[in-house]
Amino acid sequence: MTDARDEIFARIRAALKPLEARTTLPTFDASVAIARHAQAMPDLVAAFTQALEAVHGRAFRDPTALAAWLRTKEATLGYVDPEVLAALGPAFATELTLETSFSRARVDEYHFGITRAAGAIAESGTIILDDRSTPVRLAALAPWIHIAVVPRSRIHACIPDAISALGDDANIIWCTGPSKTADVEGILIEGVHGPGEQVALIVDG
Amino acid sequence: MSAPSSSVSVAASPARRVQLMSTCLCDAFFDDVARATVEVLEHLGCTVEFPGRQTCCGQPAFNAGDWPAARTVLRHAVDVFAGEAPVVIPSASCAAMLSHGAQILFENEPDAVAVKQLGTRAWELTDFIVRGLGVTSWPGRFAGRVAFHRSCHSRGSGTGDAVSALLRSVSGLEFVDFDEAEQCCGFGGTFSVAFASISTAMGTLKLDNLLAAKPDVIVSTDMSCLLHLRGLAERQGRPLRALHVAQVLRDALASSDALASSDALASSKVGR
Amino acid sequence: MKREPIDQFAAEQSDERRTSVRLGSKAGHEKRTQVLHEDYADVDLLRKLAGQIKQHTLEHLDSYLEKAEEELRARGVKVHFALDAEAACQSVLDILQARGAKRLVKTKTMVSEEIELLPFLERHGVECFETDLGEFIVQLDADRPSHIVKPILHKNRREIARTFEQKGLGTYDDTPEVITRRAREFLRRKYLEADVGLSGANFVSAESGRLVLVTNEGNSRFCLAAPRCHIAVVGIEKLVPDDRSLSLFLNLLARSATGQRLSVYTEFICGARSPDAPDGPEEMHVIFLDNGRTEVLGTEYREILRCLRCGACLNVCPVYRQASGHAYRSVYPGPVGAVLSPLLAGKRFLELADLPKASTLCGACVEVCPVDIPIPDLLVRLRNRGKQEGAPSGATPSLGGFAKLASMPTAWKAALGMGKLVNHMPRAVQPGPLRAWQGERDLPAWRGGAFRSWFRKRGKKA
Repeated sequence: MTDARDEIFARIRAALKPLEARTTLPTFDASVAIARHAQAMPDLVAAFTQALEAVHGRAFRDPTALAAWLRTKEATLGYVDPEVLAALGPAFATELTLETSFSRARVDEYHFGITRAAGAIAESGTIILDDRSTPVRLAALAPWIHIAVVPRSRIHACIPDAISALGDDANIIWCTGPSKTADVEGILIEGVHGPGEQVALIVDG
Repeated sequence: MSAPSSSVSVAASPARRVQLMSTCLCDAFFDDVARATVEVLEHLGCTVEFPGRQTCCGQPAFNAGDWPAARTVLRHAVDVFAGEAPVVIPSASCAAMLSHGAQILFENEPDAVAVKQLGTRAWELTDFIVRGLGVTSWPGRFAGRVAFHRSCHSRGSGTGDAVSALLRSVSGLEFVDFDEAEQCCGFGGTFSVAFASISTAMGTLKLDNLLAAKPDVIVSTDMSCLLHLRGLAERQGRPLRALHVAQVLRDALASSDALASSDALASSKVGR
Repeated sequence: MKREPIDQFAAEQSDERRTSVRLGSKAGHEKRTQVLHEDYADVDLLRKLAGQIKQHTLEHLDSYLEKAEEELRARGVKVHFALDAEAACQSVLDILQARGAKRLVKTKTMVSEEIELLPFLERHGVECFETDLGEFIVQLDADRPSHIVKPILHKNRREIARTFEQKGLGTYDDTPEVITRRAREFLRRKYLEADVGLSGANFVSAESGRLVLVTNEGNSRFCLAAPRCHIAVVGIEKLVPDDRSLSLFLNLLARSATGQRLSVYTEFICGARSPDAPDGPEEMHVIFLDNGRTEVLGTEYREILRCLRCGACLNVCPVYRQASGHAYRSVYPGPVGAVLSPLLAGKRFLELADLPKASTLCGACVEVCPVDIPIPDLLVRLRNRGKQEGAPSGATPSLGGFAKLASMPTAWKAALGMGKLVNHMPRAVQPGPLRAWQGERDLPAWRGGAFRSWFRKRGKKA
């Protein structure tokens, strides 16, 4: 193993040795890659909502409305991270069954999973998950409906901001809308291996 | 694929002496295109020289990967076109060969500098007119719907914009758009015979798109593209008028009606 | 009439297949172009910037690779190096065997096809499943992908439905939603039963060691959530200098590949799960792969290593659209493949020396490449290399005679005159290339010498 490593590095150095002039790393303003529509976003919550809806996600600010929507979807059994129960309010569980521990054995029984988001990105409508905020990875992935609780103060304006804030979590996932594919004749299908509905519940904090 | 730098200040030269590289295709098939090029340049006040020992720009051999052969041809061209005058060419692909391809071909050669010098003097015709001489509009009249097929080798050069500017300024000329304009016509030199099936399919698709726009004439800066497109169109029994941009500009000067002007490839069919 | 292999393949293809590929590619190109111009005033500026960053990284690859390795090791990731395909496959197998692992699920990664990993693992008793929908269908069919990003561009729903029925995934139903749902249900079981999740990486940030995975279906997330071990096989050219540059690359990649602003899932992975987390791998391995890349790095073709595998060049290429991916007989098809595949073939270069010829050098690929790779220049260099190494000319006419003529003005002028004979020759006895030309096209009348005599007669020096 060490031999292969040394060999590869030796090969790289030998390959680059004859190169006289080397390309320097260009300096650039990270904002050069910010999309036009995101150049000015005075209201990040509104911008985030709009961008999330543009990728067929949904945003709610009122847990009651969210609960009502779940009922219209006949999504009555779900996992909830116990840390967000307070934000959902006591009325949320009306006509819904909430479990605060996720059972891998019953993974296909959950209609929805509610987990904490680490943040969000207004430019793209992205929900940021990581192991610290969503240690139960399957809860955010397996059920048809994933609801991420997004504290409004953690909505980044744009992608470069979110990159600067990546932090040291070993598993960070940017979710931009529901899972999808166009592999079959280029036809868009939502809900492949991951959720078919990507929801954000925006809360204070 | 850059055109000569503006350090070659052509406009400043009082006699506007230029050398004409007619291209091997015009030498063999399209004398009227070369003629029109001369007439257009003389109209603009240029004195046109035609070095008689000229042959080819070396592109066919270069593209085919036969670089020793390509270098032989190009060295001959460097010798034939010696001097300081701009070399004006009614072909974007030949101009690109001299200004770009030749640099790759000669990168490790002792005479790279001389080859580069020729490259900085090489101009496709319309690019020369617009960026070299500063002429951005064209007098006269050319009535008809024109579909401009921008040849691939003019990518990254001033040619596309130059043709567009000049033709749109001609009275009576209606510039029409068509689909998939960025798609190659399928000529590609030896590709046209080595990959005949794909070449034909590409050309047929291009014809479909061009003809759907109902042009009166198809115009290009490259006879290679027109040779291929017109050849396919004739074989497929689809009428297609094709002109080189030099012919359009010349005809506009003569203010002749577009539909009555000579078709670039009007000819008896070759072979049985 | 003799044809080059890629042309032969294109000619023999069914109209249905050709149409699927052509229209699918065209749609991909149009989406890419629309979203890029909608979002950015100067797309070329971004492409060139990204190209320079990649070029810089490649030209300093030893220090960046070393930094990435350091970062990953500091986070407990086991880092391996594989010289070639065989070594990489063996590395993967060793990890599996050390864990007694028998079941593997993999997310989309071209590198695994390059090294032919799945057949190798299956020969050694490991049950493997592709989880990207397109790749899963390819696996069921024992077929090969025909596009870097859209593996089943060449298939229609009826073909897929028949395959599903044959493989016991339900009675014939070609509704795309049903096909997708069946794959979801089938593969979910496989994720949950798998011992190992295998991935590649789109980028590796040297600064943080982060592997970046760009996907849409959720399969990558599942491969990293359900099994207990994660193995990533990554080409050494995937390095980028830092996290900051990722904002540029991520914006360009998704738009170039599928016309999306961002893919649905962008994962930044630099370690196994934390000890008290219930889901995720307890162990993470990264295998950095050479397999010919260092050889390319030492040549004038090194720019091809910038490639992000977005597929934009395939989508715009008129030759790819007519031929389809399988015509290239390689893991990497299209314009990028025409350069990369012969190069990665190493000693077997000559077997793929015809690939660089399958191009008119139109340059449409350069205009869409998010890292500004000068593909036509590389193709023409490879044609030179092919000729020098004695590649058979195939159906390509030799131009040696023409070139000789073109350096001898007197002979040239004589040929111009004599060429008129062609106007009267039956096609069958004309020179080869002219005959071949007229298979599909008419030739105009030969008029050699006409311009020269006109010019002379005007009294100018000729």
